[in-house]
Amino acid sequence: MNKLNRLFFGVLVLFGASWLGMVAYPYLTFAGLQPNKDDATGEVVPTGKPGTAEQGYHVYAANGCVYCHSQVVRDKSDGSDIDREWGKRRTVARDYLFDRYIFLGASRLGTDLTNIGARQTDPQWFYRYLYNPQAFSSESVMPAHRWLFRTVKINEEPSSDAVKLDGADAPPAGYKMVPTAEGKALVNYLLSLKKNYALPEAPEPTE
Amino acid sequence: MNPLGVQDSPEPHASEYGDLSTIDRSVRIPVLIFFASATLWLVIASVFWLLTSVQMCAPNAWWTFPGVSWLTFGRSYSVFLNSFVYGWASSAGIGVGIWLVSRLCGVAARGLSLLISAAVLWNIGLGLGLLSLLAGFSNGKELLEYPSYVGFILFLALALVSFWVILTLQSRRPGPLFISQWYLVTAFLSFPWAYATANLLLSAGAAASGVSQAAIQWWYIGSLIGLWFTPICLGLAFYLVPKSVGCPIYSYNLALLGFWALLLLAGWTGMSHLIGGPLPAWMVTISIVANVLMLVPAIAVALNFHRTINGKFEVLSWDLALRFIVIGTMAYTFYSVEGAMISTRTLGRIVEFTLVTVGHTHLGLFGFISMVLFGGLYFIIPRLLDRKWLFTQLIKSHFWLSLIGFGLLLADLTVGGILQGFSLQDAKIPMNAVNDILSPFLLGQSIAVFLIVIANLGFAAAVALIFLAPSRVRKSGKIASETTLEVTVN
Repeated sequence: MNKLNRLFFGVLVLFGASWLGMVAYPYLTFAGLQPNKDDATGEVVPTGKPGTAEQGYHVYAANGCVYCHSQVVRDKSDGSDIDREWGKRRTVARDYLFDRYIFLGASRLGTDLTNIGARQTDPQWFYRYLYNPQAFSSESVMPAHRWLFRTVKINEEPSSDAVKLDGADAPPAGYKMVPTAEGKALVNYLLSLKKNYALPEAPEPTE
Repeated sequence: MNPLGVQDSPEPHASEYGDLSTIDRSVRIPVLIFFASATLWLVIASVFWLLTSVQMCAPNAWWTFPGVSWLTFGRSYSVFLNSFVYGWASSAGIGVGIWLVSRLCGVAARGLSLLISAAVLWNIGLGLGLLSLLAGFSNGKELLEYPSYVGFILFLALALVSFWVILTLQSRRPGPLFISQWYLVTAFLSFPWAYATANLLLSAGAAASGVSQAAIQWWYIGSLIGLWFTPICLGLAFYLVPKSVGCPIYSYNLALLGFWALLLLAGWTGMSHLIGGPLPAWMVTISIVANVLMLVPAIAVALNFHRTINGKFEVLSWDLALRFIVIGTMAYTFYSVEGAMISTRTLGRIVEFTLVTVGHTHLGLFGFISMVLFGGLYFIIPRLLDRKWLFTQLIKSHFWLSLIGFGLLLADLTVGGILQGFSLQDAKIPMNAVNDILSPFLLGQSIAVFLIVIANLGFAAAVALIFLAPSRVRKSGKIASETTLEVTVN
């Protein structure tokens, strides 16, 4: 075998080993995971996401939310995630079973969003936060996402979605602020972020 | 006197490979396209780097474009990251790779149309990628943000270059393989493989489900740094360091050890970013072990270079290209040492999700990879254009400003990140207070990035000047007198 072929073979075997272990193995194993059925209640968790939340994935991805927000809850032994009430238990592989795209994240300049849909259930809260994050927390470095909203005349559209803004943010008289389709999709996605069900492999810490 | 040191370097014996300038000339067009476009991408990346860092300090100030969807932090950050990694570092790396392969194979290159098509395709892909990210078509996966059609174009360009590399190696002059060739073969085989895998499984319709996406993504990032950039930069350093100081590499057994250890370990290193995450603990544990063992290739390489240069440090006073390469390879050692430290569970759980990991990434991408590539471009471009660099002072300023700016950035992110990490560990400190603690460090980051951006623009100015210089100042024929002192592997 000549030297070049030996080298090709070396790359194939050594890099290939990591490919088998870190790509092929998880790809095949996690594809075989099943949702958990609670024998007592018959409840099956986790469930898939509703259609509008699916579209929200793309808005979340497009605007780089993942650069500052994680979606991982670690065990008490690894961090304060549970004490910060980001989740009642750690997240495990099965939690992400139906997520078409997952955003575990590598930075926590912002809060963890694993269970944001359980902590905040009012779409208005999300709209107002996205419109002006500093109104909620003056130290926040989150950019305002104002292109997810548009100003319309008060009588133009049904007003169930109108965003309640006050002070300097309030729209001019006779107008109201409504979220765009993208804005709605993003908020539906954020509302769907809740892993607040029980899984046998990740019991809630007792203490 | 040429500040970059060909004429000045000692010439113990004449080239055994005949006329190096003929070989250089045979690949000059594609290599120069890659270098010129890499420089342009560095400028684009620098502008967005500065924008993202000031956006973190003043999210609402009008000059950070609040409310403009195309330039919001989440999009400009992805543009910075991708323009830097693929636009600058990968383009420059491909150019360096082509040049090194043709020199080390000792034959005038054929199949130039392959390389020129690759260069054009690569830049079309990057341009489309930039627009897609700004327009909001990102995949939202770190370092795989480009939409799948861009991934396909980039892969095609890469495959063409890799195909050319293999063809050229097959037709090389008979004889032993240089250690640099080992590194380059590894880079040009591993990267297209990793890039195709990640794109097929992640962005093209997200074939991989759930948490396996995270495993694949981190495997890709580990491979991108460890088996694409690292071997290209080490390949270049193993070629230029002995050549510049005028003596062969200290030990080729040590070089071999470093090579095989890197190839064995690098693919396993990514997962240590997921300590406490939803992946099985054994995957994270293997990755921690791999990161700690990465000290072996790092120390092997550091020792080898140190023993080679030892006693000849005066070369650094006039050889500016070597300065960049020496600093870059030192940064590789620091990068590996820090990587081993922060991958352990004890430290990793504190610093993951903090600015420490950002600083660590910059130590790899800028301190190590970019510095080595700067040195490579300073060495190679004059030889391809047959011209001299115009202002030595500009190059010196580039070096010092990069070093100072980067030192400041690394210190700022590391100290800020450690404070952030300990604050995050303490649930009694609310997130607002953590941001309060961070704010001076975010300001420090902006200042450091500003210095680095000025340095990068200085580099771009030097490259623009040598490309546009009206007359050929360099005397022809000097290239042929270079020595060949690469370490060979039997």
